[in-house]
Amino acid sequence: MIDIASIIKKIDRLKPVPQVAHKVMAIAENPESSMSELSKIIVYDTAVTANLLKAVNSAYFGLPDQVNSVHQAIVYMGIEQVVDLVLMSAGSENLKEAQEGYDLDTGDLWKYSVSSALIARELAEKIGAKDVHLIFTAALLKDIGKVILSQYVKDSFEKIDTLVTEKGFTFREAEKEVIGIDHAELGGLMAQKWNFSPKMVEIIKNHHLPQKSSMSEIETSIVYMADMICMMMGIGVGSDGLAYRFHQEIVKRLNLTEKDFQDVIARFAEKIEQIESMVRI
Amino acid sequence: MNLNVGVADMKVSNDPEAVLATYSLGSCIGIAIYDAVARVGGLLHYMLPESTLDPEKAKKNPCIFADTGIPALFKAAYKLGAKKQRIKVVIVGGSQILDQKGFFNIGKRNETAVRKMFHRNNVIIDYTDVGGVVNRTIKLAVDNGDVWLKVSGKGEKMI
Repeated sequence: MIDIASIIKKIDRLKPVPQVAHKVMAIAENPESSMSELSKIIVYDTAVTANLLKAVNSAYFGLPDQVNSVHQAIVYMGIEQVVDLVLMSAGSENLKEAQEGYDLDTGDLWKYSVSSALIARELAEKIGAKDVHLIFTAALLKDIGKVILSQYVKDSFEKIDTLVTEKGFTFREAEKEVIGIDHAELGGLMAQKWNFSPKMVEIIKNHHLPQKSSMSEIETSIVYMADMICMMMGIGVGSDGLAYRFHQEIVKRLNLTEKDFQDVIARFAEKIEQIESMVRI
Repeated sequence: MNLNVGVADMKVSNDPEAVLATYSLGSCIGIAIYDAVARVGGLLHYMLPESTLDPEKAKKNPCIFADTGIPALFKAAYKLGAKKQRIKVVIVGGSQILDQKGFFNIGKRNETAVRKMFHRNNVIIDYTDVGGVVNRTIKLAVDNGDVWLKVSGKGEKMI
């Protein structure tokens, strides 16, 4: 077993998700917020502003005109969309790098995270969930723990793989067994340290539904299902493969039919090139 | 020269320099076909079993579905001079999440779709590596028909 405290300490070496993300989420959740309030907060962070404008001008949106300011971006795209893009920009820093332990090249984990977030948003809207931005952000950040755990997974890969291939463990269960902590639990600790809401911490920590009790949480269930769909599509999937558990009852709880399920995949297929153009920036 | 076959995409080629590659299949299926006489290779990466789900989408992009993507792949290879009786076929992918069952088991259904189609059309499958929980990547060299299979975390081998 590895010294867990030394793993947790590594959180301090990462750049936390910037403040702008927290502020923008607060604005998004307040129905009385205005466009200019949102704009003021975003322009204050130059890196986020630059990323936002690049994303808005990417092939994904295919806008007829060049967008040159945050204000213009909000007018064109609406508050909802801009909030998502700012959250994406804020989360991208740590997720873009290669993760050797999970056999993920540069950009793979990022592509996986963005895809999960977009699908989670689609499911959330379909189901009529309330906190769409919370769900979007949680889906985007759910695998942040992999950024730290990757090194440990690399060192113990054979042991983890043996548990998965011979003992019927999920990859997460095997991480926990061999390393002492799994990527979801570690991600929850990171979110906590970075001052995300207790709800966000819970979703990230429970996104593989380790206990039956987490299945009753609608937001967690949506993030879980988006993750499952991305895994099936193979978008940015690594050495952990599809070695997670599928809980059929969640499909029922979210009122998804077999057709809904496949429709999400088919719709994603249509957008995949544009999504790739957006995550490359 | 690597030719990347994206998700819900296909490529055929008779350029001896070309290596067709498709990455990270998950529950999707990758089908590599090769005619050693015409030296024509093709690679398809489809996501779902049946186009009845959404015929409009299938019309726009047949490669989303098995039942429209597979005929498109073979037809494109025939255009470059490949002959059905000489074509060798490799199928990989179709992984499943643990405990995934029935209608929601897209990996299994993707596999069944191609097996049915090939059985009906008397196409012999030369090699398969399907199912399980692993993530696969496949490459095909058009020059000689060599196929490499990579399983994430476990390296690449020639098949």
